[in-house]
Amino acid sequence: MRYETVIGLEVHVELATQSKIFCSCSAHSYGADPNSHVCPACCGMPGMLPVVNKRVVDFGMKAGMMLNCHINRTTTFDKKSYYYPDLPAAYQTTQWFAPVAVNGLVEIETSKGKKNVRIKQIHMEEDAGKLVHDIREDTTHVDFNRTSVPLIEIVSQPDLSSAEEVEAYLERLKTLLRYAKVAECEMAHGTMRCDVNLSVRPEGSDKLGVRTEMKNMNSIEAIKRAIEYETARHIDAIENGTEVLVQETRRWDDIKGKSFAMRSKETAGDYRYFPDPNVMPVVIDDEWYDGIKATLPEFPEVKRERYTEEYGLSEYDAEQITKSIALCECFEGAYAVCKSAKDAANWMISEVMSILNVRKMTYDMLTLDGAVLGELIMLVTDGKVGRANAKKILSAMFDDSTIKPAEYAEKNGFIVSNDTSLIEKVAREVVAADPKAVSDYKSGKEKALMSLFGKCMKELKGNCDPQTLRTVLINIVNSL
Amino acid sequence: MEKETLRILEMLNQLSLTQTEKDEVITFCNNRENDLKTLDAIDTANVERMVHVMPIMTVVREDVVSQPFTREALQAGAPETDEGYWCVPRVVE
Amino acid sequence: MKIYTSKKDIASKKAIIADDMMLTADMPTAAGSKMLDGYMSLFEAEVLTRAKNAGYDLVGKTDVGEFAIDLVGETSCNGAKVKDGVLLNPTAEALKTGEVKAAICLDVNGAPRRAAAQNGLVSVKPTYGTVSRYGTVPVACSGECVSVMAKSALECKELLGVIVGHDDKDGTSLSEELCGSAKKCGELRRVAVLGAMEKGIDANVEAKLCAFKSTLRNNGVEVIEIEDDIIAAARPAWNVLMSAELCNNVSRYDGVKYGHRAQNFSGIDELYTNSRTEAFGELLKKAILFGSDTLSTENYMKVYDKALRVRRVIVERFAEIFKEFDAVLMPACSVMEYTEDMVKENKSLSFEENFYTAPASISGLPAVVVGGVQLVGRAFSEGTLLGAAELYEKEGK
Repeated sequence: MRYETVIGLEVHVELATQSKIFCSCSAHSYGADPNSHVCPACCGMPGMLPVVNKRVVDFGMKAGMMLNCHINRTTTFDKKSYYYPDLPAAYQTTQWFAPVAVNGLVEIETSKGKKNVRIKQIHMEEDAGKLVHDIREDTTHVDFNRTSVPLIEIVSQPDLSSAEEVEAYLERLKTLLRYAKVAECEMAHGTMRCDVNLSVRPEGSDKLGVRTEMKNMNSIEAIKRAIEYETARHIDAIENGTEVLVQETRRWDDIKGKSFAMRSKETAGDYRYFPDPNVMPVVIDDEWYDGIKATLPEFPEVKRERYTEEYGLSEYDAEQITKSIALCECFEGAYAVCKSAKDAANWMISEVMSILNVRKMTYDMLTLDGAVLGELIMLVTDGKVGRANAKKILSAMFDDSTIKPAEYAEKNGFIVSNDTSLIEKVAREVVAADPKAVSDYKSGKEKALMSLFGKCMKELKGNCDPQTLRTVLINIVNSL
Repeated sequence: MEKETLRILEMLNQLSLTQTEKDEVITFCNNRENDLKTLDAIDTANVERMVHVMPIMTVVREDVVSQPFTREALQAGAPETDEGYWCVPRVVE
Repeated sequence: MKIYTSKKDIASKKAIIADDMMLTADMPTAAGSKMLDGYMSLFEAEVLTRAKNAGYDLVGKTDVGEFAIDLVGETSCNGAKVKDGVLLNPTAEALKTGEVKAAICLDVNGAPRRAAAQNGLVSVKPTYGTVSRYGTVPVACSGECVSVMAKSALECKELLGVIVGHDDKDGTSLSEELCGSAKKCGELRRVAVLGAMEKGIDANVEAKLCAFKSTLRNNGVEVIEIEDDIIAAARPAWNVLMSAELCNNVSRYDGVKYGHRAQNFSGIDELYTNSRTEAFGELLKKAILFGSDTLSTENYMKVYDKALRVRRVIVERFAEIFKEFDAVLMPACSVMEYTEDMVKENKSLSFEENFYTAPASISGLPAVVVGGVQLVGRAFSEGTLLGAAELYEKEGK
């Protein structure tokens, strides 16, 4: 019999706010000293009252709009109770009854074509703290820096059916949320985490099989392996009766490549949700709603199409640049100054992106000001700075955002000389020193000229218009 | 209230009662359940729940960081800390 | 009873006390619970800061029953304060010495109102949202209010006047404008009396009610008895809401971050369970378990959600009454003193005696206790109720 896998995802995304959701502690917990971003509220002490961070609602709404959701114009917060050391108040404030966004749709593309994944809801909530198990053998160490950092949880319908689709869906969420600048979505930093709900059923059946949940997956590769493992485990259980499948929460051990049932105590229980009396419903009026709507970015596909149609970029170039909103902004900024989309795209792809790759930075980490890149491109187009020197300037601009290309070129002697007598002088010297290259060239070896050209460029420190040099060089060699 | 219900409630709330206490809790809860008949007598079919008694208004704060409390002060009354962490018995096998 | 005393001069003309539900940074706060015995907060209640800024001296704190849900403070971990078999309220006792001018309390389940009624004092529980709850130990946040108790209505009015006002740190705090409207003193022309709410009172309480009614009538106030079968449902509904919210609010006390930690445990669950079981008292445990039960998946709709709907019915019923009346007169307690025997006999008495205090708690309406009885008014009418109390003090003695 053939089987199909039915997968729904719960994706937790940390929102890129400055402060936490209900208190004013810094929300940047990654890499900070333990318990250095905490206050009485987020370490569970009595007396402080939650006051909602407006930007969390802004971002929740924006995420909802990016995923084509309906925005609940009155959205409320509820308490969810359970005991675990990472939850200092023994309750988490989340959204149970009226989440900020519902009924969305995300389009994904895989080798099998396009497909829509339905979003059940997006709710805003506070993150839990972090537990450290490797300091002492008998003890778990508790860090509340991450407690109350704002999250959205994006709950999909069980519309996914393979590891490939899951990957495409997660990549799509990442792109859209990064485009909207609401989240970093970096699994390695824990700013994007994923619970996978999976069941298996005979192909064509409309009845769902026994569902298991794998919690807190933190890399796409691990998720793919886990899905393959779980699918095989379910099929094996159904076909061969190797075990009885039960609805449960499982932990994925990526090193062992296996999933394990979690202790029932951790998962048992009734969360006893109820509306938080300390947090008033948040009513999103038209002004607020429209204000957020107005800040929505162009979707990646729309941008890609505009880049090819309006700017005349190749499909490939448009595809590359629209991979990240940071690249798009840099490109658009450069274009606005240098007025050549082709040049701007060329610089983005062959220079900017390659520097990012060399420096092992993600595209989203690009902070280069597009307008400044545009100025640099202009210097090259106008023949004021040679391309090789321009690359050096660009590299320096990555290290120091205050650099102005023209000034920097001047200061470092990168300005192209228009002095043809100097070029001629250098060319004659180079030619005189290498008679073999001259005879090679004359006997038809074009490459020999390139070698002479390179030597001249080096002597001139790159500050010379290549076309002028070439003409001068050919004239000299031919005159011999 | 059933004994099994009480056992689950104790577990959920991290309490462990003696037999006498259990009996008393069951009496207490059963008295409250009688009270609930008063609630049932009130028709709420077309009534919306009321969490907040005062006029609803949106209360939000600006996204600004302020951290006036030090870790040392926050952990001053802690039963057990180590290297800036609160400590509990190991929770994973 | 334990009164924590700070170094300040108790003879100060503006000496006040706070009950132990108010967090203080220079004195411990235990909320009557062994769990928090010796707990030092890093910040103080907003109301105390406001009172101090207005020139009041906080000279000490008085003990409360564990998380303030009992009758008059008898469930404190420090033991009940008893004289000749009668339960005493530590705050009321401190006020009666005359050494302090007024007290700031947290009215969770009516204890300050009962204490005032039984000790000839005045207590005002203001309109929900007009006084900041920042820095109070949270128990039943949807209805509890910071209240003021004093020997006279004037002293209550003065202290309440400086603590009322909007606070950005409390998400349920009302606007400055609305808070300000609570200070106005209007006229009390018509007062309703609900026969159903006088159920269970003894002759002493009845005498207090009669005396109050005649003083009102003598001053030209119409006192009219009306039929009502709704307001009495406040008690069971409030018991559900209060217990559920309490269960959730005290779940944070687990022996990990601060407070009582059991000596013996093996593993995290035993740490939690032993710490909580050792530190919490009988009544609190009952309330936790009952509250938790009302929120279970099975009961939520038929119990908790039902209580939230009944709350609206009660609020609407009050609104209807207040179309014709300026206040409702009702008892604050069934007897003029509680004895040790009474609480031994009926271990859930505070979940029954709150019959008289629950209507104002669940609806957020202001209530003033004076002359041993209680006036409940429309929202923001505490100024008016206090005016009536002053009138009673002048005329009624």
